[in-house]
Amino acid sequence: MNDLGVHSALFALIGLGIVAMAAFYTESDNAAAFRGLPRRFGMFCLGCGILALLLIVAERTVASIH
Amino acid sequence: MASEIGRTNGASAARSGRGDPNVAAILTWVIPGAGHVYLGAPIFGIVAFLCVTGLYLLGIRLSDGMAFEFLQTDLRSMIAPVLAPEVGNLSAVVWHMKSYGFGLPFPRPWPEHIDLGTFLTACSGLLNACLACKAHFDARVPAGMHSTKPSPGLLVLAGWIVPGLGHWLQGRRLRGVIVFAIVAGFVILGTILADGANLDRERHFYYWSGQFLAGAPSWILEALHGHAFVNADIPYVDAGLAFGAVGGLLNILAWLDVFSVAEREGLEHLVEDPAPVREVAA
Repeated sequence: MNDLGVHSALFALIGLGIVAMAAFYTESDNAAAFRGLPRRFGMFCLGCGILALLLIVAERTVASIH
Repeated sequence: MASEIGRTNGASAARSGRGDPNVAAILTWVIPGAGHVYLGAPIFGIVAFLCVTGLYLLGIRLSDGMAFEFLQTDLRSMIAPVLAPEVGNLSAVVWHMKSYGFGLPFPRPWPEHIDLGTFLTACSGLLNACLACKAHFDARVPAGMHSTKPSPGLLVLAGWIVPGLGHWLQGRRLRGVIVFAIVAGFVILGTILADGANLDRERHFYYWSGQFLAGAPSWILEALHGHAFVNADIPYVDAGLAFGAVGGLLNILAWLDVFSVAEREGLEHLVEDPAPVREVAA
């Protein structure tokens, strides 16, 4: 995939927005929301990575059309 | 003489309020203004009904009731409008589906002002949701009292029209700016990536519904660049649609944040209504 970098950058951007809004919704204090942002973003990326891995495994095995 | 009550406990306010907040909100959702009639404010309820339902009927008139005919055949079902903004005005959307449904079984041209018409029906749904927020709060305010803080429904309405404005009006300005940057930024970036193809309800019914929640940024972009003729492949149209819709959906989180703080602060700043002036017999 030639534009993997572009897609990764777009994913990171949209993920950062989602995580930031979730952090500000959860934390009433702005400073606490900012502090928790890296950990939340890491967890978000890890979760999405695991989901993507499961989808790839399923695509190659039980959901394979070949 | 008005006296500051201050620091009213939410649970005690619910017990001594004018009614059940959830009943008031659900009644408003089902029939605009019904929640306020339930709370003993029939004039406000009737005026709200006329405004919200009138907006929906004007939209129906302009669009000839064809809003849900934008949906592709395989997406059409009785529950299809559940994900449309119109669902905020439940009785109107049920009547709409019953009276117009998905249209006649043969193709016909769209009315001239269908985009404005469907925009107005969508606005009616969101306005009624804001009215339900107000009904929920008003039910928790004891009779004979009012809050000195802005109504949660009004702040949610502000946050819908301009993302972050609800926070700004609450004095949480940094948070308001961040919300605006994220929501408006996503809609603008989505429009750039999709080359404006995202700004058309006929083409992308559900993505448009999500994006509509972003308020003025999406409306202005649609007025300026919407409904463009697509005559070439748009490489990042999927990403653009996702950014636009996610921007609008994230604004819901902002409304919930505004609403919860506004309701808590509103109940902490209750004052007694001014005593009515009594006529003195001559």
